[in-house]
Amino acid sequence: MLDAGRHPNIKILAYSEVQGLEGKAGDFTVQYLKKARYIKEEVCTACGACAEKCPIKADNDFEMGLKKRKAIYIYFPQGIPAVYTIDPEHCPMILKGKCGLCAKLCQAGAIDYEQKDEKKTLHVGAVIVATGVTQFDPSVVTEYGYGRIKNVITGLEYERLISASGPTKGHLYRPSDEKLAKRVAYIQCVGSRSLKYKDYCSSVCCMYAIKDAMLAREHDEEAESYIFYSDFRVMGKRYQQYRLRGAEDYGIKYIRGRVAEIIEDAEGNPVLWYEDTRTRQVKSLTVDMVVLCSAAVPSKGVEQLAEVLGIELTPNRFVKTDPFHPTDTTVPGIFVCGFCQNPKDIAESVSQASGAASRAAGLLGITSSGKRTVA
Amino acid sequence: MNEKRGLPSVGVFVCRCGVNIGGFLDTPALVEYAKTLPGVVFAKENLYTCSESGTAEIKKAIQENDIQRVVVAACTPLTHEPLFRAICQEAGVNPYLFEFVNIREHCSWAHMKEGEEATKKAKDLIRMGVARAIELEPLESIEAEVEPSALVIGGGISGLVAAASLAERGFRVALVEREGELGGMLRHLYKLYPSDVPAEEVLKPWRDKVIDNPLVDLYLESEVISVKGYIGNYDVVIKSPEKEIPLKAGVIILATGAQLWEPPEGLYGYNKKDVITQLELESLLMKGKLKADKVVMIQCVGAMSPERSYCSRICCVTAIKNAILIKELNTAASVHILYRQMQAYGDEYESYLRRAKELGVRFVNFSPEQSPVVENQQVKVYHQLLGRELTLPFDLLVLSTPLVTQRGSEALATLLKVPIDQDGFFLEAHIKLRPLDFSTDGIYLCGCAHYPADVGEAVSQALGAASRASIHLTRGYIKVEPIVSSLIDEKLCQGCGLCAGLCPYGAIEMVDTSEGKKARIISVACKGCGICAASCYCQAIRLSHYTREQLEAQIRALLSA
Amino acid sequence: MGSKDVLVIGGGIAGIQAAFDLAEMGVAAYLLERKPSIGGVMAQLDKTFPTNDCAI
Repeated sequence: MLDAGRHPNIKILAYSEVQGLEGKAGDFTVQYLKKARYIKEEVCTACGACAEKCPIKADNDFEMGLKKRKAIYIYFPQGIPAVYTIDPEHCPMILKGKCGLCAKLCQAGAIDYEQKDEKKTLHVGAVIVATGVTQFDPSVVTEYGYGRIKNVITGLEYERLISASGPTKGHLYRPSDEKLAKRVAYIQCVGSRSLKYKDYCSSVCCMYAIKDAMLAREHDEEAESYIFYSDFRVMGKRYQQYRLRGAEDYGIKYIRGRVAEIIEDAEGNPVLWYEDTRTRQVKSLTVDMVVLCSAAVPSKGVEQLAEVLGIELTPNRFVKTDPFHPTDTTVPGIFVCGFCQNPKDIAESVSQASGAASRAAGLLGITSSGKRTVA
Repeated sequence: MNEKRGLPSVGVFVCRCGVNIGGFLDTPALVEYAKTLPGVVFAKENLYTCSESGTAEIKKAIQENDIQRVVVAACTPLTHEPLFRAICQEAGVNPYLFEFVNIREHCSWAHMKEGEEATKKAKDLIRMGVARAIELEPLESIEAEVEPSALVIGGGISGLVAAASLAERGFRVALVEREGELGGMLRHLYKLYPSDVPAEEVLKPWRDKVIDNPLVDLYLESEVISVKGYIGNYDVVIKSPEKEIPLKAGVIILATGAQLWEPPEGLYGYNKKDVITQLELESLLMKGKLKADKVVMIQCVGAMSPERSYCSRICCVTAIKNAILIKELNTAASVHILYRQMQAYGDEYESYLRRAKELGVRFVNFSPEQSPVVENQQVKVYHQLLGRELTLPFDLLVLSTPLVTQRGSEALATLLKVPIDQDGFFLEAHIKLRPLDFSTDGIYLCGCAHYPADVGEAVSQALGAASRASIHLTRGYIKVEPIVSSLIDEKLCQGCGLCAGLCPYGAIEMVDTSEGKKARIISVACKGCGICAASCYCQAIRLSHYTREQLEAQIRALLSA
Repeated sequence: MGSKDVLVIGGGIAGIQAAFDLAEMGVAAYLLERKPSIGGVMAQLDKTFPTNDCAI
């Protein structure tokens, strides 16, 4: 990320959205909207004096709403570009011209309340779509009680809880009473491999659940973990060994069975009812917290982008490719890589990204040294 | 030169980083302290040393005070060292005469509640930084030309795609294939999942591209027998049936694929007749010779076992595909797939699995503790989910065996000085972030040589490896940071070879000289990790920018308090 | 007139890698991201399988 941030040939257009595309392979004109940050990017030093004193709080999107941020905020501390942004939906100065504290505090003079969204145009020879992934909202899977039972959280929420830079500084304080969660159940295929919701496999959940459980044990020797699965997807390099290590070194219990229902006991503990399909017995398990490994789905906005670009999507909203040309979309000159093409892990995303770069370079005839920099 | 004791003159810049440092440490005291240190002729604090005004102050101070060494006490070199080095260069100071001291992550952030102690620690770090700065030496970056051609080893789908992609971009490619024909594993496959197109249809366009492109030199029935040199400049010898051919290559792509594990005769009754592998089934299907009404397939034969602990990724969907093809040929046929963990991942393979179920293929889940038993043309298997044993008569039993390391991988690994993992597959530089690179620059990896992959995945990787390899070919030169190891004096080297064995980047060769074997460091391949310098018991190797003198000065400064 | 520049839409790990490879080849790459900074989902992950090293 850092290397990209300071590469002389990469220009980062953050906080921007593609709005139009014309032309053909080798010669595209792209319209995009650069949203107003209300901050002069080249002046802001990301010192944070503004946010420290800003009186307005809003949900922190990066922290999955588990923490508040200020109306003037940095998306995440290591983010690139390292500049603050004013959230126009919460800043009283933008909304009704009252406050202005951050402008007074900013010693660099970076605040600009008058900044406007800008429509901009780019001229490029090729486009690569890499819009990535988000998590399916499991609240529609009502039997698991997400949104109703406080100690049922999603995989991405868990990532922020267990992160040392996250809202709980890496401690697994469960949402209902901030008690340390020691017994945690991880449920696979929530909304995925399901004819009711998403009929595909997200490819990464089995493995990240093992990782989550390992981290819980590294933070707390008494942590107990239960992973409920139907087929363990261990098809990647070193996955099966990782799974074995999870059981042997971290004491993770793997239970084959789909959880039928989660209810909440008087102390706020989730109680799972399930059939252990290996013994064909119906059982229950009471835990401190449940992590729903819900389907990984293409990022929001992929349909609109597909429409703008004229590319086709699969029924599950992944970018459509021929199985044997996995980096080529249905429009010549527009290539694709990463999770938005098909569920895949980091290594495969990185490989395919290089693959898409190869296709773009081939189309544009990038051969001997053509040293250029972005103006 | 500095008037104080003939030392080079040092300038120290202390950053407040807004409140991030200034809010916790006594930065004016740090400036005053820095002024007392040997060699320091100038010290100043900035609100943000990295800002336009901060960097302008550095440049001005360098010019006005004839500063020869620059020390910035601020944040982390990870984010800001390139900037300050560039500022030094612009002001006429060699960028390697810059020293970074981190008083934010190491002091103000780490000890937020102990400002006084943290300030003391910052003084220690600044003193150490100044002492090292005095010992720094100017360095110039190292450049070498890159031969604009590639060697691709392996003529299967991965090698073909990689070779075609590079040749289309105008680079000369030598493609070496051990067999007499191009195509690798795909030549032996019938149809490919998930679209059931004939393998030949997928293979042909890539093979044609390679054959038709005059920039590709094909070496069939040939093997690479010698590789010498380093990125940009490999000397390769290829052995063809007729002769040995020397050639030059700037980069190497390894695409040697994998082979199917063949079970020992008798395992589950394996006899190549009515008990066969999936690959043998492909051949029956291809020749239209399949005659079977009762088919049973067993998954994970020889995989996910103590001998081969990994999952071979492609066997489940291969079995599903072949089961579908059998049902399509003969709807009356019964097909059972005995599996442990079904690997129908991604957007499409689940629906492919459902299609097989809709066609009447039966799936039986077994556990490795209760493996199927084959006797008298029957498979007996305990169906875990039903909780009872099934007896399945068969006239064809198909064993799904894993892909295993290609024949000759170890010899090739030795030749290229690249590592192999515990399962026999080639080991990439980083499992997630650099899956197609080796840690040795200039050598890349794709397809089943890395790990079992289906055709689409192999194509992705091959395109990707071509991209990685093309970076150096496109530039035509490589430029490396001059923080590299060198031999202080060849006489000191005893030729033990320890350094060459330990170097993770293949940057040290042992060469014969009139004085016996000596280490030779290829500076363009060196990453400056320092393992060789640290391990050389003769202290014959020094690592520039981290020399013994520089580190000792730093340590002495710490202890001098 | 054609262009030899490339637009990469999405600043997660895949987009960053694609832009980076092209940039290293000397191609001007624009890395467009909807959120205020690049990094994508991977930046939100604490550690990642199967080696449990840091995501950022």
